[in-house]
Amino acid sequence: MKQSPLRHYWQVYKKMASTSASVEMSFRISFCLLVLMDLFFFLSILASVSFIYDHVQTIGPWNRDQLLFFSAFMLTIDNIHMGLVSTNFWMLSFAIRTGELDFTLIKPTHSLFTVFFRQIRPSSFVTLPVAWGILIHYGIKVQLSALDWCLIPLFLILGLTLLCLIEFIVSTSMFWLTEGTGINFLRMQMQQLSRWPNFVYSSLSRKVLTTALPVLLIGSAPVHFIYDKNYWPLIVAMLVAIAACYSVLLFVWNIGLKNYDSASS
Amino acid sequence: MSLNLLKWWQTIKVSWVKYTAYRLNFFLQIVGPVLVFFFIKYNLWSAIYGENPEQMIQGYNLKSMVTYHIWSMIVTMIGQGHASYNMSEDIRMGRISSYLIYPFNFWEFHTASFLSFQFLQLFISGVTIAILVAFNFVELPSTYFLFHGVLYTLFISLFWFTLQYMAGLLSFWLEETWILRVLMGIVTGFLSGYLFPLDLYPDWLVSLLQYTPFPYLTYYPIKIFMGQPSPLWIGYAMIGLWIIIGATINHLIWKKGIKLYTAAGM
Repeated sequence: MKQSPLRHYWQVYKKMASTSASVEMSFRISFCLLVLMDLFFFLSILASVSFIYDHVQTIGPWNRDQLLFFSAFMLTIDNIHMGLVSTNFWMLSFAIRTGELDFTLIKPTHSLFTVFFRQIRPSSFVTLPVAWGILIHYGIKVQLSALDWCLIPLFLILGLTLLCLIEFIVSTSMFWLTEGTGINFLRMQMQQLSRWPNFVYSSLSRKVLTTALPVLLIGSAPVHFIYDKNYWPLIVAMLVAIAACYSVLLFVWNIGLKNYDSASS
Repeated sequence: MSLNLLKWWQTIKVSWVKYTAYRLNFFLQIVGPVLVFFFIKYNLWSAIYGENPEQMIQGYNLKSMVTYHIWSMIVTMIGQGHASYNMSEDIRMGRISSYLIYPFNFWEFHTASFLSFQFLQLFISGVTIAILVAFNFVELPSTYFLFHGVLYTLFISLFWFTLQYMAGLLSFWLEETWILRVLMGIVTGFLSGYLFPLDLYPDWLVSLLQYTPFPYLTYYPIKIFMGQPSPLWIGYAMIGLWIIIGATINHLIWKKGIKLYTAAGM
């Protein structure tokens, strides 16, 4: 009896997650250092915003709590991203260069799925409650309504999806480069850009980073909408960006695969 | 003596070729992040000052704040750009066996490689400053402050190299040392004044930081570049002390670690 594709993928994902979790957990010091790294990262982001607000009343239209809620929202997306996909980007460059990607291509799942969801990082799940705690704390401070609280999980998923799609597209360029480490640094810079609200950027930069490379929609669109429902066009733009990025990804990924010369064969 | 210098020179040349072999990769990995971070900071502070660029925030107007971040970018490029990515892999993969029999040891090889990187970074920083000065983004300080700023930042890079070397050597025990590097980057970035001037930090934190090397890594050299006189000997003494401590620890780690070395793959 043939099982549904969704069930098939879920079962494969469970196996991949459990094996990679076993590997990661076997290096206990690295595991603890990763937790420490995440916590320091949270602290540095939130403290930076807080220190700036010790000297100014507002940045753009937002006060301290509003910007801290935005930062907490982005930290939560980052945290889930670190746990579910981030490790895989670092392996892609090596797999392409050495021809190890061959083993991925012969598996009975879509190559995008196996390449970008093969490894997880369990340490990020340890810090996930901290990220959620911070998000809830600042959510209470900005007095979110019941509807807003219900929307947050959905917006986190949408933000994460858009971030991942943009990063997948950028990572595809590794097919054309001998050394792809730099692409990962480029990817991380895009995350940096998205960690500040869109009104921080000048008009031209904002347009480019909202349309051509829509990293500013990841956090700014949902949080603006949460504060003011008149910003609904930003949510529409976000959905359009997700659909467009998905189409672009499938297109460039297929071209990339055609360019792949399978070094080990 | 001259033969030894020749080995250093040849290794520096080989490392230069390796660094510049994949130029796009080098740009994205080393130069790109610093430029993007400057772009973010420039936009952020422009938004904070808004319509009133002359307002003073802890002694900084928009122009002096941007100047601070330009020099922060230069200090980071020269002082904290180097990362010994290959060192931990060399240890883990058993590749240091060759250094044990070469007449040019592991430390010498990586230090020569670091010097090569610094030549490259000095060149890139020089070009960056020239462009920024040409477009009137920043004014050059007097020759005295420029000279001392570069000299002091190069001194910082020695401290940074000592730390990176230590992280690399810990590969004798750890599977992943990149975590330590990222952790060092986050802590240093936050506490050294790289994100924004320490003048904006709470007083209690600034007082506490005076007893650590952090302010001397970014804030202090930026002040030199901005032509604000500070007693130079304090920075040199503080960083010098930490270099000696770091180098001693590195020596001990190497002596202990090499006993654990299994030369994987041989």
